[in-house]
Amino acid sequence: MRTNHISTALGCLMLCAIPTQAVEYAHQEYFEHYEGTKTCLECHEEEAKTFFHSQHYQWRGESPSIVNADGKKLGKMNTINDFCTSPRANWIGVSTSPSGKVLSEGCSKCHAGFGLLPEETMTDEQLENIDCLICHASGYRRSLFEDENGQLARKPILWKNQEGLDSVAKRISLPKNAMCLRCHSASGGGPNWKRGDIEYVLSECDRDHDVHMAADGAGMQCVDCHAGEDHRVRGRGVDLAANDMPGVHLSCATADCHGPNPHGEPILNSHAKKVDCTVCHVPRFAKVDPTDMFRDWSKPHYSDELEKYEATIVLASNQVPTYAWFNGITRAQLPGSPAQRNQDGQVEMMVPLGNRLDPASKIHAFKVHRGRLPVLAEKDWIIPIVVEEFFADGDIDKAVRNAAKEMYQVSDPKYVWNDTIRYMGIFHGVEPAANALDCLECHGVAGRMPWKGLGYDEDPLAALLKRK
Amino acid sequence: MGTKELSLACAVGALVSVMALDAMAAKKAKIDGKEMFKANCKICHDKGSASGEYTPMTLISDQWERFFDKKYLKAHEGLKMPAGSESEGQGVTEAITPEILQAIKDFAIKHAADSEHPMTCG
Repeated sequence: MRTNHISTALGCLMLCAIPTQAVEYAHQEYFEHYEGTKTCLECHEEEAKTFFHSQHYQWRGESPSIVNADGKKLGKMNTINDFCTSPRANWIGVSTSPSGKVLSEGCSKCHAGFGLLPEETMTDEQLENIDCLICHASGYRRSLFEDENGQLARKPILWKNQEGLDSVAKRISLPKNAMCLRCHSASGGGPNWKRGDIEYVLSECDRDHDVHMAADGAGMQCVDCHAGEDHRVRGRGVDLAANDMPGVHLSCATADCHGPNPHGEPILNSHAKKVDCTVCHVPRFAKVDPTDMFRDWSKPHYSDELEKYEATIVLASNQVPTYAWFNGITRAQLPGSPAQRNQDGQVEMMVPLGNRLDPASKIHAFKVHRGRLPVLAEKDWIIPIVVEEFFADGDIDKAVRNAAKEMYQVSDPKYVWNDTIRYMGIFHGVEPAANALDCLECHGVAGRMPWKGLGYDEDPLAALLKRK
Repeated sequence: MGTKELSLACAVGALVSVMALDAMAAKKAKIDGKEMFKANCKICHDKGSASGEYTPMTLISDQWERFFDKKYLKAHEGLKMPAGSESEGQGVTEAITPEILQAIKDFAIKHAADSEHPMTCG
């Protein structure tokens, strides 16, 4: 007994005596001081060139999945959305409240660059504008600063602390979930406001939230599914205009993952031919953070809490998806094109194509976002909104006029307000099999599936039972 | 000591320990690191101050560790709390008790430049 105690004590003393190992980072030995992107370019110029052409830098790209793209390269940079409307019109800037609170820094806050607008032609200036660290260095953060000429640019928040910046700049890795989610969860103005199924919690969720990303589940990273080649990303969802890897379809059914017949029950496998996996396995979205379901820019109001003016926004949690056919092709409402409206008069910002008889179509789960945007009366073109000043002064008429001038060079626009609708695919938040929808949740009397809207006369199970 | 007495003693011991830990946690919870940073640090290290601006995101967590462990005392030796502070005229290292210092350190590290939520402290 005594010997044991002595051994234990000695063991503890030895543990205490072991010197703390200096933390070694992936790029510890590759450079001494980080001096901006030129430090990265010394070894990674080719990678920077591939990134320059990617959608994450250009914010536009080939758009073979947009039926009316007409060969144009589309993306958030040259389209209009029904959330913050247009990055080009709101690229960089600081608007502050009377108390000095920063209300917005511009959409380029989430661009992987230091503040210059991406150009089509690759130059040294453009390559040095790429901010490699925002996606590759954990612990790296940046903010907006004004230089001596009054120009705004993004810089690392540690730009005055070279030792700290050097340490962070050496922590290089593939993008981790938290790095992706900082932008992809924050889009639209608040946590999960835009997408609905991409929540901050995905970086540390449990299996009930997402079996793939949970630490006690598969522990997967975003890049495990989405990483392509040459800085291109796989998967475009439904309402992204550009496709970073045209021809490459991201699917659960690849051989490496679940295969085309993943269920033990043949009836479930036969369903999987016409029903996307997410329909049964993502039964709800906005499970933690509420999401923006309706944004009306025609009714601005002042938020005491946020100290700014904002559109009227309806947030909602635990939403049941809307179900519709989708064959991989989307129709987009493009700027400078007459508004396309559905039978309810809503301008269709992004709508999935497909139908029951189309062999390429499957039923998919969607968040349907509704909104209200200005439309140029004479041309019937959607107008975005310059939101930076609006957040501070609440003058929505000025915000629309400025946008019309910037986007269409129209100085004195006559405009009307029109309802809008956008279909956004729900793909994340896959729950354990035990939580998947059961038969009657779609086929029962109170089932969630809108059979008539999907092209059926009635619930096909009910029809089958009648025939028997 | 019989088995029953031993079990009882263990249970009482565990209860006392839990209560002591709760009391410590409650005491610790009373000290708000952010408020302490504002009251004791920002008063001399605000934007434009002669002593230099320091917010949690001025340094990375390793640098904060090193600062509090090795540099804080020396850097503040002989300095007095400034006019307008609650402890005006008192020595900085006396006014900022070890408990307050720990709360400030925890806050600074939690919101350091390389943390998930860097903060400027308002």
